[in-house]
Amino acid sequence: MKNYKIIDVIHLTKNVFKLVTERPNLSVVAGQCFNLGVPGTSINREYSIYSGSGDLNLVFLIRAIDDGLVSSRLQKMVPGDGIEIDGPYGEFCIPLDKQRSKFFFIASGTGIAPFHSFVKTFPDIDYTIIHGIRYSNETYDSNDYKVGRYIPCISSNPRGESMRITDYLKHNHPPDDALFYLCGNRNMIIDTVEILLSLGISGNQIISEVFF
Amino acid sequence: MRIAISYPPIINQLGQKAMVSQNRNVQFFKEPTYLLPVTYAQAATWLKQGGHDVFWDDGNAQLKTYDQWLTDLLAWHPDIVVFESTTPVMKFYWRAIDEIKSRSPRTIVALTGYHSMRKPEETMQSSMVDVVIRSSNVDFVLHRLVNYIDQNPAWRLTCPLEGLHIRMRGREVRSTGNFRQVEPLDNSPLIDRDLVSWKNYAYENGNFLQTPGTYATSVIRDCMFGKCTFCRYNGPDLTFSLMSVERSLDEYENLINNYGVKEIFDDSGVWYRGREAREFAQGIIDRGLHKKNCYFGINTRFEYLDEDTIKLMGKANFRFVLLGYEAADDETLQRLNKGYQLQHVENCLNWLTKYGLHPHLTIMVGYYWQTQEQLDKTVSEVKRLMLSGLARTLQVTLCTPLDYTPYHQECIQKGVLLTDDYNDFDMSKLIVRTPIPHHQYYKAIKQMYGIAFNPLFIIRQFQFLLRGRKRDWQFLFTYSVRAIRRVRQHIFNLTRNAT
Repeated sequence: MKNYKIIDVIHLTKNVFKLVTERPNLSVVAGQCFNLGVPGTSINREYSIYSGSGDLNLVFLIRAIDDGLVSSRLQKMVPGDGIEIDGPYGEFCIPLDKQRSKFFFIASGTGIAPFHSFVKTFPDIDYTIIHGIRYSNETYDSNDYKVGRYIPCISSNPRGESMRITDYLKHNHPPDDALFYLCGNRNMIIDTVEILLSLGISGNQIISEVFF
Repeated sequence: MRIAISYPPIINQLGQKAMVSQNRNVQFFKEPTYLLPVTYAQAATWLKQGGHDVFWDDGNAQLKTYDQWLTDLLAWHPDIVVFESTTPVMKFYWRAIDEIKSRSPRTIVALTGYHSMRKPEETMQSSMVDVVIRSSNVDFVLHRLVNYIDQNPAWRLTCPLEGLHIRMRGREVRSTGNFRQVEPLDNSPLIDRDLVSWKNYAYENGNFLQTPGTYATSVIRDCMFGKCTFCRYNGPDLTFSLMSVERSLDEYENLINNYGVKEIFDDSGVWYRGREAREFAQGIIDRGLHKKNCYFGINTRFEYLDEDTIKLMGKANFRFVLLGYEAADDETLQRLNKGYQLQHVENCLNWLTKYGLHPHLTIMVGYYWQTQEQLDKTVSEVKRLMLSGLARTLQVTLCTPLDYTPYHQECIQKGVLLTDDYNDFDMSKLIVRTPIPHHQYYKAIKQMYGIAFNPLFIIRQFQFLLRGRKRDWQFLFTYSVRAIRRVRQHIFNLTRNAT
């Protein structure tokens, strides 16, 4: 049994919440994920960590899907409830020898989780985050990033300019020598890779993780 | 252009054929299972639709000898020949490529597959291959590459497509960088069944209870989980791509209504889960395909499908469900990054059995850390699950460190890999140092396959008949004959090196 306690559930929007849990006594690398399961259901799903690798607790940034078997149940949990945690897994990480590189993190929605984990773990890295969201209230913990390093691309923005990630990249040439980490919706990743390649970025500089 | 997508017959000293088109692990079989290489079939379809002449050249499925295969291939005068590589047959491929290049120097030979994609320089140095395609999305890359070659005589110098190693002149090689990890699967065509002679693959396949059966165009390319250390689909540069539910349903409808298919298996590493799984099963019901006497099969993972989804799948006439069990001890599952917990196995199998599906367990033995205690526990748990009727069939393999998987790297780092001869990676013997003698693992294999002959197992199959499901009658009276033949073959293959 790998049962742990939920420490907190912080609701950020109607659908998105931060789940704070006890941390298994394991080494965690920023960018990895855990399998989370609601006890008694025999179902689990993978979620990337949102917290830094050295943080006391694990934090996950989760979007509750209407008919989601795990996410909708997790959203209703309260501190003190149990949760099954299995892992960590995955290699969507920053290799030790690349930490001095320039990073361009491109995320849609909760796909920002591993990038938040990177920044919390390696506060001195040189990064820019492009975050594709639908509404302006989905910028989550944008204050956790250095000034000017977090660029939201809001697709439905009644109070300002609406913009998608692809629009941003077409009008703002990213640095040629950066490493590009892409995470989130697969269609965003497909479109973004197409643009990056057309801008002369090499496939060697692009690494992706599809969430859905 | 004239493009041959070729699978040469590769026959070992025992007269067994290499099953290269399994896309994963190569094993040699005397009585082979002919598996349709789905991605390559999509590639062939796409090229044909683009106006090219395509030769679907599966020498195995067409029951050719090597000489006959080579003669036919060269007589067809291909501009491009495409092969799929895997570790145990690399040396064969290098020789075959050189033979083709010496007899038909103008033919461009392209090598794909999980071995050469991980080590393209080696293949470039060891053969006269013209291009190594590093992407697992072979259909997308070939579609782009063939059109480029067709229009650009200087393609070796100018081709900008990602993920290629191209021979320039002599030993000079040009790399075009990493490949695109994610492709829009809905853009790759559904398989042209006539082009790939689908009936060659419709009968000799242990996964089919009814024939003709066929493999669906995979709804997921690579793996949605993608973390298991022994599986070659993994890697920091691989993620997954997904095809839409409606498109897959269209294909099923076509296969059932126009081809008379009686069983369809989707060999995606892991099939849909959650909303897509429910939409698919509901779509089968809405289209009335569940009443057309066709079974459906998938690969899934423990803790991926819930009871409601499985119930819907049962209603939609799903039958065969393959689950990677691997071992019955927590340490092994953790080391393999399997991502499920043993405590949930029984629930999942219970649901599958309750709604009439036939769970098939895959198990491996011979991990470099596996103790006698762990091995005994696996044998005993597998026996319990099979005798209690929670699992219907099983498949045991020797855990072979597939090239460039994390498990392979681990074996090298720990100094437990006993050979670096690629021919030894054919899964016919253990090639890692283990804490107990190898013969104990071979014995365990015999014990697990022997469950099929256990009177309790047979009685259990008779008990299933009381449920009144046609599939259980077929399982007992049709499938069992084939199963016995296959069990004998598996035991022979996996234990012939036992001393």
